[in-house]
Amino acid sequence: MTDRRPTALIADDEPLLRKALTRLLAEAWPALEVIAQARNGREALTLFETLKPDICFLDVHMPGLSGVEAAREIGRRAHLVFVTAHSEYAVQAFEQGALDYLVKPVEAKRLSDTVSRLQERLSAAQPAPNIDNLLDQLSERLQKKKVPEPLRWIRASVGQALRLISVDDIDFLRSDEKYTLIAWRGDQGKPGEALIRTPLKELLAQLDDKQFAQVHRSVVVNLHSISHVIRSGNETADIHLKGRDDVLPVSRSYLHLFRQM
Amino acid sequence: MTPEAAALPPRGLARVLGWRRLRVVLIPCLILSLLFLPGWKASWALLFGRLVFVGLVQLSVFGLFETWPRRLPRWMARWVLQVASVAIVVPFAVAIVYTLTTQDDPVPWVKNMDRMTGFAMLCCFGLLLSPWIAMSALYRHISGVAQRQALAFELERSEFERDALESRLRLLQAQVEPHFLFNTLANVRELVDSGSPQASSVLGSLIAYLRAAVPRLHEPGTTLSQEIDLVRAYLEVMHMRMPDRLQFSLKVDDAALQILCPPMTLLTLVENAVRHGIDPSEEGGRIEVRVAVREGRCRIGVLDTGVGLHQETPGLGTGLATLRERLQLAFGDDVMVNVSAIEPRGVCAKLEFPARWNRP
Repeated sequence: MTDRRPTALIADDEPLLRKALTRLLAEAWPALEVIAQARNGREALTLFETLKPDICFLDVHMPGLSGVEAAREIGRRAHLVFVTAHSEYAVQAFEQGALDYLVKPVEAKRLSDTVSRLQERLSAAQPAPNIDNLLDQLSERLQKKKVPEPLRWIRASVGQALRLISVDDIDFLRSDEKYTLIAWRGDQGKPGEALIRTPLKELLAQLDDKQFAQVHRSVVVNLHSISHVIRSGNETADIHLKGRDDVLPVSRSYLHLFRQM
Repeated sequence: MTPEAAALPPRGLARVLGWRRLRVVLIPCLILSLLFLPGWKASWALLFGRLVFVGLVQLSVFGLFETWPRRLPRWMARWVLQVASVAIVVPFAVAIVYTLTTQDDPVPWVKNMDRMTGFAMLCCFGLLLSPWIAMSALYRHISGVAQRQALAFELERSEFERDALESRLRLLQAQVEPHFLFNTLANVRELVDSGSPQASSVLGSLIAYLRAAVPRLHEPGTTLSQEIDLVRAYLEVMHMRMPDRLQFSLKVDDAALQILCPPMTLLTLVENAVRHGIDPSEEGGRIEVRVAVREGRCRIGVLDTGVGLHQETPGLGTGLATLRERLQLAFGDDVMVNVSAIEPRGVCAKLEFPARWNRP
């Protein structure tokens, strides 16, 4: 067992909070030496590799590499404590003590509990627990925020620029060899065209099926943009759009959508 | 009457000779028959019968031309066809009914003075009355259609209102995110504990933000000057939290200060710029807010030099979409919401809507 002082790294994108934790730690654990302060996950990793602290306090939400991703890289090589603004990210395993977390604003009492646990582990020369499982759960929790709502906005190239186009402004989508063409209403309702790389099939899966319908192998139309549909003789039809000259083909397999009620 | 029964209009013969329509024929026939009766030589039943026959023929013709032919030449309105046909068919129908009902006459009815008088009278009244009856029936039909339209609009509007209310509620829920609040409070406490002179002003900004961040549901709009104060408070708080990663500037035309807009209009864009542009960026960036008035339109631009549009941005869509809805609720369709990437990196969000001033 070494006599050297235990060392810690603090990572948080907000400078005042790094300062706050440093100060609180100084009071709760005077023997602890904070040897590094990182502004983001990438810096935390770099500093960790260089300085090899015993303990890392990692803010969960950081730009670039998050606290969770940095934790994954560090693995069992240090004792890890997550710091988070609210317990939404806390997983049951955290509460069971397998992995410690602190809620911001950090309470002195809570910190001293965490400090006791760390001191125990260090003095018993216990290795840091394997937390890959917990990290997976945490990542999942963080990503759950991506609710599968129908797509509302599409990022597309319009000429030289990249723009966000509301799906309500889209008249139809047509797939080309490499791109999908988006026919949309721009400013003042002027018809325009944009291109994106996402294949039509993928887009169709994300679009609201109450608003968009596939009418042909390579065409998806916004139902609100249809002016009228004219059926041709041989089991096909043509869709005429409001305010546009384009005529969209309806293939046999989709003709049933336009049968009269 | 079940809802389904009410929804489907009767088809075919049921429609043409439905009870409602029969009534329209029978009642005038009844009245006319009673009117004519005094001077009539034939029996009442016969008179009534003849009148009803003519009426039924007219009704059938009216119903026929209601849907046939499907396509009319442009210059012919369907109602004209229906009314004209109802009139034209009168003499023929009366002639037919007379022929049918005077089979036993020794002399053909056309040579019989009494019969001819009767024929003439029926024709006259038929020609005079029927067009009016037909037109009033058509009018009632059209106004019935108009009523249903009005109801449909009413329904659409109340759905719209309900959506607006839901928008507001979502807005309420979205405000004062715990993440933002607790992080900020943690920062403020540090300032206080370390005796920093900044503490008080930062608390002031936080209070200003919180007070405005809970929208007052009774107030449908705020002025841009209130929005600017709110946005300034928010940016000051964020700058305090990440001084090395956020710079900002606000440029507002004086003339624009009293323009009305839905609450949180500016804040939505600025929050997006911070959350999706600056915060994910390791070096951070700069946010510029510009508000101008030109030619009766208010132009707002929020520019950031953050990570740009290439990242996955869940949640970006909802805030912007809600903003668009609220602007459309307030100003109709004459609004522009445009978000595009800028070079070398970052995003520019532009809004445009008609300028309406607050008149005290």
